[in-house]
Amino acid sequence: MTGREVVELIKKNIGIPWNENSYRDTFKLGNPDTQVKGIGTTVMVTFGMLKRAHEAGLNMVISHEDTFWNDRDETKDLAAIPLYKLKTEYVLKNDMVIWRIHDHMHAMRPDFTVVGSLRSVGVKGGEDAVMRPRIYTIPETTFGDFASQVKRLTGSRAFRCVGDPGAKISKILLGPGYATPRMTAEADVVIGGEQQEADGAFDDVEYVLDAVSLGKAKGLIMLGHVVSEQPGMEDLAKWMRTFIKDVLIEFVPAEEPFWT
Amino acid sequence: MKNNHVSRRRFAMMAGTVTAVGIAFAETAALTAEKVIERIKTDLGGDWPPDGPDGFKAGDPTTAVTGLATTAMATLEVLKQAAKDGANLVLTYEPTFFSRADGPSRVVAGTPGRGGPFGVPADDPVYQAKQEFIGKNHLVVFRLRDHWQARKENAMLTGLAESLGWTKYRVKEDDVLYDIPATSAEETVALIRSKLRLRGGLRAVGDRKARVRRVMLHPGVMTTATMWQRYTEADLIVAGEVREWENTHFAADLHSIGQKPGLVTVGRVASEDPGMRVCASWLETLAKEVPTRWISVGDPYWRAA
Repeated sequence: MTGREVVELIKKNIGIPWNENSYRDTFKLGNPDTQVKGIGTTVMVTFGMLKRAHEAGLNMVISHEDTFWNDRDETKDLAAIPLYKLKTEYVLKNDMVIWRIHDHMHAMRPDFTVVGSLRSVGVKGGEDAVMRPRIYTIPETTFGDFASQVKRLTGSRAFRCVGDPGAKISKILLGPGYATPRMTAEADVVIGGEQQEADGAFDDVEYVLDAVSLGKAKGLIMLGHVVSEQPGMEDLAKWMRTFIKDVLIEFVPAEEPFWT
Repeated sequence: MKNNHVSRRRFAMMAGTVTAVGIAFAETAALTAEKVIERIKTDLGGDWPPDGPDGFKAGDPTTAVTGLATTAMATLEVLKQAAKDGANLVLTYEPTFFSRADGPSRVVAGTPGRGGPFGVPADDPVYQAKQEFIGKNHLVVFRLRDHWQARKENAMLTGLAESLGWTKYRVKEDDVLYDIPATSAEETVALIRSKLRLRGGLRAVGDRKARVRRVMLHPGVMTTATMWQRYTEADLIVAGEVREWENTHFAADLHSIGQKPGLVTVGRVASEDPGMRVCASWLETLAKEVPTRWISVGDPYWRAA
């Protein structure tokens, strides 16, 4: 089976019309007609992830995010950067091929990135979740205790919280990656991946600070992009195994990049 | 229209205050918010288009100024402190009302990426309470961002360097590199955390044990264009914020192949806090009639136990 054939099978099984105009969901590097020995799904094609995939005999990487540190994977400004050359050479030398699936994952029903993210923080009932956020009700707890639970369950070392740790909370609104939801009147806690901290479309950080200053029980958890969208790529691997049976498919996590 | 109504009413209240306080106060009372802003505009120069980010965001510009406050972001806590200190004209670097629209929800033209309206609906309870607090305390809020950061002195940078105790280590005038006494990335991070009084906002990428001598400072948002152009010049980059799929990912990949620099993000507002302290010192020279103070936002973030 070739990389191109893998992608054709995904298109056939995804259950939504394929948008050929997506600049994101395309081959990024390597030969699409290469014979696939194994497939690694991941949230981010880090160099470390590439090496782990290669060592595991997986020469096709299916990533949710970009390869070359920009959303369009433009490479024209990268020619002089040694890291770009090394990464490209590593992929080509090892007969690897990278394909991205982003837009179609967020259009799928369910959206695995949301399903996985909800599961990873211990919020139940999100098995059919889609991109459009909805409120999940958890047994009432304090925001601080909930944050501790998120830390324990995700294993994340670097996620950030805003709000009053003592606030009683039970209504959760979650959007992974850069789709951090706006805080609403109904929600107690917003969970996102990342978001511009201020001067954006909606500044959750300032809103939550002010809501807390007014005595409202509000909290914000910024998981980080990798931590928030990573679990869904395991779901993607599982889903692909239902229609690709003769090629090894593994979830290869990208590393949380931060220390604190 | 509703705002106009509030504005007129507030103006009437202020006019009443001035009359009641009497002649002794008249000289100070004559310094209105818009007069202070005129001095600022004259000093900083440039165009001040009505649709740019800089401008009055709340309160009545004809309010008599009793004191000035500068801040990186006019949160309600900052405004409460300003009111307590009698500083009724607040100059803020970031928005007051939770988005670039900096007021009730509207579609912001020319914004790449996500469409749809920015900010909060006019009936949002937090928005309304904040407006009410501003009105009740006769505060005036003015956003001063583009023109302040365009100033050739680059106070957002020098302020951050000053807070870190690195002013004397600047490699070249007008540049962003600092040669600090050599130490490890870990030690540098500890110093940054303590000097900026950070709680949970700092995140670092790269080798903890790497030797750090040359640091590149970048308050606010660092783009990939900046990083790609200059990353080879530093052992460590200290920025406010970046996009994780861009610069964070790039720094993590550099680390994977054993290359520098490391990348430390301290948070956008935490990186901009010190520059607005410099802004307060500068304002003191422009509005000598009233006291000026800087109100720190501090680090909004904490980490789970």
